[in-house]
Amino acid sequence: MGIQEQYRSEAAALLSSGEVKLVIGFGAGSTADRRRPLFARTPEEAQKFVLDAACIANLSTYLVAEGLLSDGKKVGVFLKPDGIRSVNILISEAQLKPEQVVILGYAIESGKDVAALEGRNISDFSIGEKIRKLTPPPHVIEAAEKIEAMSAEERFEYWKEEFSKCIKCYACRQVCPMCYCRRCIVDVNQPQWVSTSSHTLGNFEWNLVRAFHLAGRCASCGACDRACPVNIPLRLVNYRMGKEVRSAFDYVAGENSDQKPVLASFKQDDPETFIL
Amino acid sequence: MTRILLRNKLDDCIAAWQKAGFSVLAPVKRHEMSSFGEVRKADEMALDLVLTERTIKDQFFPQTEPLIKYKIGKHQIDSETMTPPEKKRVFFGVRPCDASGLAIDDPLFGWDYKDDYWFGRRENSVIVTIACSQADDFCMCTSVKLSPDSTKGADVMLRPLSDGSGWQVEAMSDRGTALVETISSLLQESSAEAAPVPQVAEKFDVEKVMEWLADKENFESQFWKDIALRCVGCGSCTFLCPTCHCFDIQDEGDTYQGIRRKNWDSCSFALFTMHTSGHNPRNTQSTRWRQRIMHKFNYYQGKFGVNSCTGCGRCTRQCPVDMGITETLQAITNLPR
Ligand code: SF4
Ligand code: SF4
Ligand code: SF4
Ligand code: SF4
Repeated sequence: MGIQEQYRSEAAALLSSGEVKLVIGFGAGSTADRRRPLFARTPEEAQKFVLDAACIANLSTYLVAEGLLSDGKKVGVFLKPDGIRSVNILISEAQLKPEQVVILGYAIESGKDVAALEGRNISDFSIGEKIRKLTPPPHVIEAAEKIEAMSAEERFEYWKEEFSKCIKCYACRQVCPMCYCRRCIVDVNQPQWVSTSSHTLGNFEWNLVRAFHLAGRCASCGACDRACPVNIPLRLVNYRMGKEVRSAFDYVAGENSDQKPVLASFKQDDPETFIL
Repeated sequence: MTRILLRNKLDDCIAAWQKAGFSVLAPVKRHEMSSFGEVRKADEMALDLVLTERTIKDQFFPQTEPLIKYKIGKHQIDSETMTPPEKKRVFFGVRPCDASGLAIDDPLFGWDYKDDYWFGRRENSVIVTIACSQADDFCMCTSVKLSPDSTKGADVMLRPLSDGSGWQVEAMSDRGTALVETISSLLQESSAEAAPVPQVAEKFDVEKVMEWLADKENFESQFWKDIALRCVGCGSCTFLCPTCHCFDIQDEGDTYQGIRRKNWDSCSFALFTMHTSGHNPRNTQSTRWRQRIMHKFNYYQGKFGVNSCTGCGRCTRQCPVDMGITETLQAITNLPR
């Protein structure tokens, strides 16, 4: 039995036994190469699940949808390692209770084969060591190095061009599992902290605020980068912030759910390079 | 015999328009994004795209626009209206759907008062549409009663020649006639055939959709809750739409001076209808999605006699969760009746 059939029947079993109220997975999309999030509430609906190498979205973002888990019931969800990392982060930030999520884990290997991951509860997945070794794809590192090699002026120009494209659609925020604030700082208007105008300055404010708010919390799922309709290379922002946090605190977000959020906790031996 | 413009005359064409005082804007791909941008040479144009990612709407209704500069004094408030620049512009290589979008939005911006920002730009712009020679999986102009060679909103219509060497030229308005006049020495008479128009399959039955939407019984239907489940409520589909036109007025500055701006806003956002009391009449994504569909295929039709959709397909093409209006309208078409 292929993994798709296996997970269809597992999802159906979870639903018919009443263990979960809902399973979030993937269904066929509007074109042959697209997959879309699919919500199954009945065993019959679970037969529509698709699981293949095109299932790249990070579905954990739906776990923090307003009201979804407020009834205390469990939800099943298809997650690959970046989704599992996201769940770890959400648990460590007290946004999820571990017992509320049943994970149907999978990994996409060499871009085409889908393999099942062992385990159903978040604590079953020991992906810590694996993600330490995780390196972003070579083209990301190459692009990041190119920017790091620029002079400060050139770098500023580069980001000015990129952020000028932003239309403040907030797709990056909406697809991000870590952007769960019920009222995002840009939506606070008494006082208006961040300009809602999508001019270059306003776009800088928004993108920098988001970069800082994601520092040490990003699961590197790439959802924001894929969602951006104007193709701003948000992956480079995330990569750089992740690198900073790792070198300063030896911390990689989402290793396990017992981690303390790095920027919301302190250790005696934290570097204090900014204190003169 | 018709008049044709050859591709290899495009540089001269741009020069002639510039000489006549026009800026020339065309599809361009810059910084990994396609949009309408100013060009000086033909090779800067990206004429082979099915559609630009950003729409031509941006050039008439920008994402942020300063309206008034103000200064608050002890006894008076000084203000200065910031009128849009009266630049003469040619838009070359507009797709029929995007050109239609402008025509669809005209009544909206001219309904209770005449929006000087929109019409100031409209009146100084000439739209040169190029009929499509290709379509992708998301195109659906024919479903909303337009077509890949629709002339709606066009001042000049260009139809590609079958050998790809140029276009048949037809002026569609006085403005278009005047523009063609400025390049008349570059045109030639020819009997070259126009390329066949691509087939774009109809994806839904818009009449059936409108009928269902008009039935008040369906407003609270479970249908809306089910179909909008995966929508994450971003603004992509509205901001990339050639007809979506909602905006918010914001004052930017300090206690004593500032600029009042008109910024794009989106019915997909939770904040869009949030009252100061904290009450939100559209407090779920499904009610917001319903609003988007109702506005386009019911309210707009009722007010202006036209649907607020050109079938460009961007809302599906760019949606991060593969939604878009096509799926919803297909589902409505197929509902048991
Ligand atoms: S910031 Fe982007 S890459 Fe990081 S977790 Fe959020 S969506 Fe994923
Ligand atoms: S998704 Fe892209 S365009 Fe939209 S707000 Fe984020 S950075 Fe800006
Ligand atoms: S339909 Fe897609 S693009 Fe539109 S608001 Fe929902 S998620 Fe965003
Ligand atoms: S609703 Fe979608 S298909 Fe219709 S005009 Fe807007 S973006 Fe294009």
